[in-house]
Amino acid sequence: MSGSTGCREAIALLEDWLKAELTPEVAEQVRAHFDRCRPCFRHAEFERRFLAELEAAGRGDRCPERLRAELLREIRGADPA
Amino acid sequence: MTEIGARTRDFETAVLPHLDLLYRVARRYTRDTPRAEDLVQETVLKALAHWDSFRPGSNARAWLLTILRNTFVSGYRKARREAVSLDPEALDRVSTRPEVAADPSGEFFARITDERILAAVEALPHDFREVVVLSDIEGMSYAEIAQVLGVPVGTVKSRLFRARQRLQAELLDYAVSMGWVRPRVAG
Repeated sequence: MSGSTGCREAIALLEDWLKAELTPEVAEQVRAHFDRCRPCFRHAEFERRFLAELEAAGRGDRCPERLRAELLREIRGADPA
Repeated sequence: MTEIGARTRDFETAVLPHLDLLYRVARRYTRDTPRAEDLVQETVLKALAHWDSFRPGSNARAWLLTILRNTFVSGYRKARREAVSLDPEALDRVSTRPEVAADPSGEFFARITDERILAAVEALPHDFREVVVLSDIEGMSYAEIAQVLGVPVGTVKSRLFRARQRLQAELLDYAVSMGWVRPRVAG
């Protein structure tokens, strides 16, 4: 990618950009496009917030203590030492 | 606490930090809490039995999730008579996202609940559900997910793209039905 990034290019790279899977140089060009293009910014912002909500919704669960203790017992019960 | 051997200690150091992750992924895979607990237990015991095949310093998270996934696919999924192999045609039939509804005041994000989001995730077909869970909930990279699924990175990306489209369509349809956002009128 060279020069300034167009809308189509920026949106095509949006998924990778949100996942931080672009090189720093390309990521910066995509960000620069969103900074100056209102419709693309809104699109990117919706996707970013959507992913943030999804992560927050799914990350609440923890392994129950009872299961953790049971697993620890089984692991140590198998210990030959 | 009695003394434990180096093998057990190394195993615990590598595996115990990932129990929450394994539990969350197992819940999303099985969509059932008791079955999720069984799946985690079976995964950890298999990992212990195969601990000698784990390369020290390699990615324990991906290794554990590969075991969990294989265990799920070979046992739990068959037991439920769910399709075991990916059916690309079935996934292609998935509708794509309608035009994003107009939501100028952010009502969608203000009102959508965690329960509603997780219900929509659980309603996804397995192959879509798992990439969303591993990528967007657990924060794994494309490369890590490709390793766990045993598919090319490009497959992970395309599956993830379509999974998100479907998830958004589901949730936006709901938001429209609740009157939170207006459907975008064509033309």
